[in-house]
Amino acid sequence: MTYIDNLEQFPYPFKGNMYRYSNNSIPLDVPKSVDITSNYEEEIKLKRQLLRDHPKRCFQSLSHTLKAQWEILALVMNHLVNYYPDKFSLTKTNTLWTFRNLILNETQQFIYGDESTLLQQPLDFIGRHVQEDLILMSERDGNLYLDAGQLCFPANWSLAFDLGMSFREIHYPIPGFKEEKLDDRILNFLLRLEAGNPWGRNNWSLMAGNRLDTSLETFDDWGKGRKQVTAENAGDLVHLRVEVQTLFRLSRSNGILFTIHTHLLPLRKLAEKRAWLEQFYHILQELPPYIVDYKGLSLFKDVVIDYLKVQLEKEDAS
Amino acid sequence: MKEHTIPVFIKSIEKLTPQVKQFTLSPINMTKLPPFSGGSHIITYIAGENGFITRAYSLTNLPDQTDSYQIAIRLSENSNGGSKYWHESIKMGDFLKISYPKNHFPLSFKAKHHVFYAAGIGITPFLSMMAELRERKTTFELHYASKSEDLCSFYSLIKENFADETTFYFSNRHNKLSNETLLDHRIGTHVYFCGPESFISSFRNEAERLGYPKSSIHFEHFAVSFSKNNKAFQVKLTTGSSISVSKDQTLLEALLINGINAPYSCRVGRCGTCEVKVIEGEIEHNDTFLTEDQKNGHECMLTCVSRAKSEKLVIQLN
Repeated sequence: MTYIDNLEQFPYPFKGNMYRYSNNSIPLDVPKSVDITSNYEEEIKLKRQLLRDHPKRCFQSLSHTLKAQWEILALVMNHLVNYYPDKFSLTKTNTLWTFRNLILNETQQFIYGDESTLLQQPLDFIGRHVQEDLILMSERDGNLYLDAGQLCFPANWSLAFDLGMSFREIHYPIPGFKEEKLDDRILNFLLRLEAGNPWGRNNWSLMAGNRLDTSLETFDDWGKGRKQVTAENAGDLVHLRVEVQTLFRLSRSNGILFTIHTHLLPLRKLAEKRAWLEQFYHILQELPPYIVDYKGLSLFKDVVIDYLKVQLEKEDAS
Repeated sequence: MKEHTIPVFIKSIEKLTPQVKQFTLSPINMTKLPPFSGGSHIITYIAGENGFITRAYSLTNLPDQTDSYQIAIRLSENSNGGSKYWHESIKMGDFLKISYPKNHFPLSFKAKHHVFYAAGIGITPFLSMMAELRERKTTFELHYASKSEDLCSFYSLIKENFADETTFYFSNRHNKLSNETLLDHRIGTHVYFCGPESFISSFRNEAERLGYPKSSIHFEHFAVSFSKNNKAFQVKLTTGSSISVSKDQTLLEALLINGINAPYSCRVGRCGTCEVKVIEGEIEHNDTFLTEDQKNGHECMLTCVSRAKSEKLVIQLN
């Protein structure tokens, strides 16, 4: 089983030959929080397995977030039926809502605002119908806090650990984040986020392996892959991991919905596009040590650079 | 950045007092308007002779009432277009555009008790805030000053819904609201002020003097107060162009009229979106966004409310 994007669908994240941390958010032309790809059924199956086997690792919420969770459910359902009317439907009779997922052939009726009519909390319920991880940041007394989330595919972080933490506390480990005042600037940017004007950004890392569920809690399982990268296997083992993220201000609760859709592409596929191959080779070569370290690339970056170089030379020769 | 707006029409107009009119706005394309959080406002955009007349008004209806919005506007004696236009030219059935709800005056999450101080039309943001607290089952009180019962907007609505929480102060009955009541609140109380500039600063200063933590003091200016002593000035952009700002125009308005794509959002010096770098010149800061240190540094300013102290400024747009 693989969860690999094909080349055409893949959200290649780079714009130049150099990469640094920045607030690279841009306004979304289409206000859409979720995307359905060809991996939908596989990924939803995996998500639900993880939620069943590791519920506390994958879903957390503080008790004051229920209203905001309902608001997220409504927003995501509206996006699903508006952007994918052949795959989802929603009918409302007063507060009785009927939601249909036609891909999975599932129907759920519930009373909007009444938790006892759903098997899960609202955020946990709607998260089981989308490939995205869904995070709620509450605005409380001028700061943002991670107060609820459904997170199945984290890039080496822990929802249970971060629950209730402020934006600054969560991002504290990022090197240079505080020194360059990026934390203040991005926090101010987020606090100014307004309803009706959502934003999006991409984030990236390199993975030794093709797992989507790389939680901090299971690092012992997947982290050792970093030691197994060789020039021979890099093309298949190493993946460019890209997170397509969106940010929506919730008008009723004044919270922020943060969505993360994770895509994986093996380097062998990346190398098929000459422009990407060349650019990514330059980016990796130039990447400063503090970013290499934080992204967990120290153990296999050089092997990957060698691999990319060989691919470039191969193409030049042919 | 181009802001997404919502087209609405004027469904009804009601005279609340000899000076205040209430306007009900209903959506044109959508069946429902977004719900909002207590304290939210919208920006209204009305096509005028010299471009759009844009003003911020608090939403006075209930946060979950989504079939229409209501705003209440007081005719201001020295109106420079906004309230005069609303009072004299707007008719039922007129079309206009509004922003999505924004909240720059949110309720505190940690407050043990909330106390609202309103003078005149400053009552407007508190109506949705009190409705929200009622729903949260949190305690609050309202101190509301007006010239007389006849000139007191929402008098009967407040009497009907918030009689136990409200004290009215009518100056025609020599019952003046004094900032000494700030002494009566228990530790953990958050205070909120809304009204004319002099009212807000008197209560803010007294609250600070009494030792209220800054984070427990909240206030909202509901309009930019145009000083009669405003002077015209010249602005040079680092890109080369020169612009004149007349005495009854803001720097932001001058930039926009000259076709410069300057960023902005709230237009009352609160959100910080319109911040620009100042290369040369002294600034008269009128915003409540920048810190004292930033203001004294004279290296940045908010174009929506701040002006030049010197005759000329050199600014850089990002």
